[in-house]
Amino acid sequence: MAASLQRILLVEDDPDIQAVTRLALEAVGGFTVGICSCGKQALEEAVGFSPDLILLDVMMPVMDGPTTLKALRELSPLRDTPVIFMTAKVQTHEVENYKQLGAVDVICKPFDPMNLSSTIRTIWATHHA
Amino acid sequence: MPSSPVNPDQIQEQMQALQAAYAEKIGKRVLEIKQSWEQLVQDEWSPENLRTLHRRVHSLAGSGATFGFAYLSTIARTLEILLTSILETGNPPIALQRIQVQALLSSLNQAIQEPEQALPELSALVALHSSPTKSNSSHLIYLVEDEPELARDLALQIGYFGYEVVCFDNSSDLKQAVLQQSPAVILTDIIFSEGYSAGLEMITALGRQLGSNMPPVVFMSVREDLTARLQAVRAGGKAYFTKPVHVPSLLDKLDELTRARPQEAYRVLIVDDESHLAVYYSLILQRMGMVTQVVTDPFDLIAVMAEFNPDLILMDVYMPHCSGLELGAVIRQEPAYVGIPIVFLSTETDLSKQLNVINLGGGDEFLTKPIQPDHLIMAVYARAQRARTLRSLMATDSLTGLLNHTTSKEQLLQELLRAERTQSSLAFAMLDLDHFKGVNDTYGHAVGDRVIKSLSRLLQQRLRRTDTVGRYGGEEFVVILPNTDGDAAYKIMDNIRQRFAQVRQQAEDKKLFATFSCGIAVYPEFPDMDSLMVAADKALYRAKHQGRNQVVLAGKP
Repeated sequence: MAASLQRILLVEDDPDIQAVTRLALEAVGGFTVGICSCGKQALEEAVGFSPDLILLDVMMPVMDGPTTLKALRELSPLRDTPVIFMTAKVQTHEVENYKQLGAVDVICKPFDPMNLSSTIRTIWATHHA
Repeated sequence: MPSSPVNPDQIQEQMQALQAAYAEKIGKRVLEIKQSWEQLVQDEWSPENLRTLHRRVHSLAGSGATFGFAYLSTIARTLEILLTSILETGNPPIALQRIQVQALLSSLNQAIQEPEQALPELSALVALHSSPTKSNSSHLIYLVEDEPELARDLALQIGYFGYEVVCFDNSSDLKQAVLQQSPAVILTDIIFSEGYSAGLEMITALGRQLGSNMPPVVFMSVREDLTARLQAVRAGGKAYFTKPVHVPSLLDKLDELTRARPQEAYRVLIVDDESHLAVYYSLILQRMGMVTQVVTDPFDLIAVMAEFNPDLILMDVYMPHCSGLELGAVIRQEPAYVGIPIVFLSTETDLSKQLNVINLGGGDEFLTKPIQPDHLIMAVYARAQRARTLRSLMATDSLTGLLNHTTSKEQLLQELLRAERTQSSLAFAMLDLDHFKGVNDTYGHAVGDRVIKSLSRLLQQRLRRTDTVGRYGGEEFVVILPNTDGDAAYKIMDNIRQRFAQVRQQAEDKKLFATFSCGIAVYPEFPDMDSLMVAADKALYRAKHQGRNQVVLAGKP
C-alpha cells in the first residue's frame, strides 16, 4: 500500500508556471500545494510545510535545482522526501543524471496542465511500488 | 485520499484565464529577451549577463507551449540551444552566431504577432493529402445506353471486374437515380433518339443542377468530330471513348476514377534527442494524416526502424553520443534502407556545412531550425511520396503493377509470421493461365499481355485489401489470403475462376476466352514457407493434369 500523497511543494521561479502548476495540482488533482520562488526560500520553508513530495525546477537563478536538492537533503526531515525535477531540457541521458542526483523522476516542460496530476500520481505509485 | 476535483468547466475557465494573462505578458517577455541581447552585444558582454539571457529564453521555451504557444516555444528552444553553445565557448559570440541569434529573435517577434501560428491551420495543404476515395458507392456505375444489347454486353464485361452496373435507356430515369444515390461514375452515350447531342445536353443540365456533387462522367460515342469532343470536355467529361469501346482501356479509366485502393498514410520516423521538439514535429505531421514514431535515443533507432518501416526519416544533426551524420551513415550501410530519404534538421545555416552533412550522412535534404510547419510538411510530403513511388516501381511488375516474384515471396514470409503470431490460418494460391503459349502464338504478345492484365485486374478487384496478389512469372500468379481457411479460399478462387472464364478478351475481331488453373495450400496444415509453396505448386499441377480451368486444394482428394 503506497503512502498517501497530499502535500506538494513546488520550487519554481517563473510566476506563470507557478500559477498554472498550482491550478493543475489543486483544482485538477485535489492536492495541497505550497510554492517557493527560489532555492533559498525552499530551504527556509520546506521543513515547515512538510511536503510529501517536492517538484523542483532545474534552471533557477542563483541556486539551481540540483544545488537546491543537495541542500534540502542536508535537512534531516527532508532526507527521504521524493523529489521530481521539472525541466525543458530532457534528453535520455539527462534523466539518468537527474536520477543519480537523487530525483525519483523528471517531468518535461511544457507539460499538459490537465494531465500533470495523474503523471505525478503514477510516478508516486511507481516509486512506492 | 485527495478531495474530489472541482467542476471541469471551472478548471477550463481558470486555465483560459491563465492563458489569456500569459498571452498579455508574452510580448513583454520577448522584449526583455531582445533588450538583454542588445545590451550584451553593445556594451556589457559578460558570461553572467549571457546566463541571465539564457535563463529567460529557457523559461520562455518551457512555458510557451504549456500555454498554447507551441511554435513560439520551438523557436525559443532553438535560441536556447544556440545560446548554450555560445556559453560553452566562454567567449563573446562570433559574427555568425550573432546573425543567427538576430534571426531567431525576429522569428520570436513574428510568432507573437501572429499567435495563430501556435497551432497552424494547414487547410491549403490538407488538399495535398486527402485522397479522393469514396466510401460506399465506389463501384457503382450508371450506364446510359439506348441500345439494349450493347448495354447488356458492356455491363457484363465491366461487371466481371467488380463494378456494379445499373443501366438506363433515357435521361430522366438517370436523373432520378443520381439524385437518390450518386454513382462512382456515369458512363453515357451521346446520340439518343431525342437528338444527335442529347447525351451531352443531359449531362450539362445535370451538372448545372448538382454542381460540385456531380459524379465524374465518361462519354462514349460513334461520333469522332471535334465538336462532340469539345462539348464533352465542356460538359465536364473525364474521358471520351469512340465506339466500339475498347473495354480494357475503359476499365483502366474506371479504375483511375474510382481509385479502388486508397493510399496508405506516410510513415515518418523522427529522430531528435529533444523530446518536445520531436513531439512538436510529430504533431504537425500527424495533423496531415501521416503516421509518426519518435526516437529520442539514437541507440534505439535500428530496432525501431525494423519494426516501424518508415517511408522517411527526419533527423536532428546534433545529438549526444553520436551525430545525425554518423547515424545516417549507419542507416545507409544497411542495404534494405538505402532508398529511405533522410531529411536532416539543424540550426546550422552555413550552406557548405549543410551540404557536407547531406554528403557524409547520406541525407536528401537539410532543413534549418526553427522550421515553419508548412515547410516541414512540404519537404516531408514530397520526399515520402517520391520514395514510395520509387519503392513500388522496384517492388512491382511493370505490366500489371502487382508485386513481383521477390516481393511476393517476402510478403508471404511476413504474412506467415503474422499468422503464426496471431495463431490464424492463411491460404496461399498459385495460378497459371491455361494454354497461354497458344494465345501468344495465335494472337501475338500484345493480346497475351492484355489477358495477363485482365486477370491481374480481376484478382485485385475481387480480393480484399488485406490480400496480396503477385505476378510470380510469365503467366503465373500468386495470391495470399490471410485469415482464410481452405474451404473459404477454395470458394473465393473458384468464383474468380468462373468469372474470368466468362470475360471476353480483346483480340481484334476474334472472340477469345481464357481460363486459369489454381492450386491452394493452407497454413498451418503446411507449417512453413517451403512446404506451403511446394504443396500449392503440386495442387496446381494436379489441376492442370485433371483438365485445367479448375481449382485444387492441397490435401483434399
